[in-house]
Amino acid sequence: MSNGFSRREVMAIGGAVASTAAMTPLARARMMPQDMDRDVFAGVVRELRAIVGDEWVFADEASTISYRKSGIPDLRGEHVPSGAVAPANVEQVQAILALANRYRLPLWPISTGKNMGYGMATPASSGQMILDLKRMNRILDFDAELGTILVEPGVTYQQIHDYIEDNDLPYWVDVPTVGPIVSMMGNTLERGVGYTPYGDHFFMQCGMEVVLADGTILKTGMGSIENGNTWQAFKWGYGPYLDGIFTQSNFGIVTKLGMWLMPRPPAYKPFMVRSPNVEDVAAITDTIRPFRMNNLIPNGVLIMGALYQMSMFNRRADLWDGEGVIPLDVIQRHARANDIGMWNTFYALYGTDEIIAAIEPILTTAFEATGADVLTEAEMGGNPYFEHNKTLMRGGMTLEEKGLVRWWGRSGGAVAFAPVAPAKGGETIGQTQLATEIMNKWGFDYAPAYAVGGRELHHIIFLMFDKGDDEHSRKAEQCMEEMITRFGERGWAAYRSSVSTMDLVADQYGAANREVNARIKQALDPNHIIAPGKQGIA
Amino acid sequence: MHPRRGRLLAGLTGATLLSGVGMATGFSMSASAQATYEIEPRAPEYLYARTCGYCHGHNIAPIIRGRALPPAVTAAIVRSGMGAMPAFKPTEITDAELQALAEWLAQSEADPEEHGG
Repeated sequence: MSNGFSRREVMAIGGAVASTAAMTPLARARMMPQDMDRDVFAGVVRELRAIVGDEWVFADEASTISYRKSGIPDLRGEHVPSGAVAPANVEQVQAILALANRYRLPLWPISTGKNMGYGMATPASSGQMILDLKRMNRILDFDAELGTILVEPGVTYQQIHDYIEDNDLPYWVDVPTVGPIVSMMGNTLERGVGYTPYGDHFFMQCGMEVVLADGTILKTGMGSIENGNTWQAFKWGYGPYLDGIFTQSNFGIVTKLGMWLMPRPPAYKPFMVRSPNVEDVAAITDTIRPFRMNNLIPNGVLIMGALYQMSMFNRRADLWDGEGVIPLDVIQRHARANDIGMWNTFYALYGTDEIIAAIEPILTTAFEATGADVLTEAEMGGNPYFEHNKTLMRGGMTLEEKGLVRWWGRSGGAVAFAPVAPAKGGETIGQTQLATEIMNKWGFDYAPAYAVGGRELHHIIFLMFDKGDDEHSRKAEQCMEEMITRFGERGWAAYRSSVSTMDLVADQYGAANREVNARIKQALDPNHIIAPGKQGIA
Repeated sequence: MHPRRGRLLAGLTGATLLSGVGMATGFSMSASAQATYEIEPRAPEYLYARTCGYCHGHNIAPIIRGRALPPAVTAAIVRSGMGAMPAFKPTEITDAELQALAEWLAQSEADPEEHGG
């Protein structure tokens, strides 16, 4: 059809539109909360409507469609919510928690629900009700002297970016790769990263407000000092530092988050290091590490694999229509045609022209010694792969990385595996070899990136598959399980995981960790109503 | 208050940070500076530029302007997130905003600057 959709798709979509009106509420039993009768659930839904208004409760097949969408394998329907409720303020959150305690209704909090590669808005187990905090979307405070911001859960990076631009504020916001539609709070609580010098988001977080399961409102750090004004300036407060236990956590519901923003530098210069061979990743890593430790390279560095990059702007069939995984020489040929190497490392310098001029030759000499080309705007300006990372390293808005989700075709499908390791060359070689072996065995292309922090690296592997094909989804699920298990045997564990593998990863962190988390959970949420299963905490 | 109006109230002046950008005057937004967007619906062009247009017409997803897509189809795809596209919830784009966006899209002219994915 001329509109780009096939006739079959338009018919299917039209049918879905027509059928929504006829759908019976509570149509699917498998969406129900565990151990809750249908009539009790119907009563809960009525009470939720009384709290937030009819239009902000979603409890049938049609109106919950947005909340069920995810790109990860879910062959057995293990991550299907019972519904969603969207409060407008903290008081409504408290009222919903009181109700949830009364009926043992499990709530899965989300901010924007765009947890790409990890399950989007879907819960760790079916039947949980999504607590959608997107309506709470105010920038509550922006201190232009300190460069601090206080936001609600629904505030996206785009909203902050627009706010800064409209007011000509001298700051940058650091974004993850899919910034425009993602919540600053959501990404920070999941301990996501970005690519400016403020790329470690949780490191740049300062103060939070948490609603506990019993309705108690906790302001961490300096937030509860009477007449205080230091909440977003000093992280640690007094006594045990609590913010960490509310990240990747189900111990409470975070409703306000403070962050530090990077002063906008007068000058910015992005670089790309083009390395021709797969094994070059070791020398590149060993070259980056000292410069990250002494801060000559100040930003979150990305070592991008060619296939990861090309998957953003291409479909698999554009590169390869043969049997099996894409051969290395084919990847190399396409990489060369796009003026990129097998690994392409992106770093940037910030400050004044004089500062950049002083540091640039030190870094260029070091990277060229690895056999790589060190390229700048002069050589790479306009190249989409260079432009993508140039945008990220100054906190610009892009959704180009969404492209990799449709690598195998229109149905989409991508689940992330992100093991961490010390930032040493031998680690990257070992991880790359192991991931390639496992993924190729299952018929998947290895499309990697390494994000290098100070002394560690996150190995970001997107396992791209065809979610429209159950057999392919099954293989993706088994491949992911094997990767987590075999990386674990080598001492490499994930820093974050999809909702489908939380128990598996939590086990790798040991029984004592699980037990301590369970005790804290029992103390703070004895009815286990907040996100049971999150990070393996029941 | 709509966010865009809230921004105008900030009234900051720029000066220098490091050598030349901004040492802003002392200022802190009040807690009422931004309210939810439910007060004032956002225009289709605004929504398209800040969400759809990052992928559609930008190498990642098919061009959707100038194709007379039926509004009901657009609305259903936005809510369900067909294929690789993420789903957008009523809390992200209200039914009224989505309806206006879908109708605007159906009437829109193709943009020669856009390229499909």
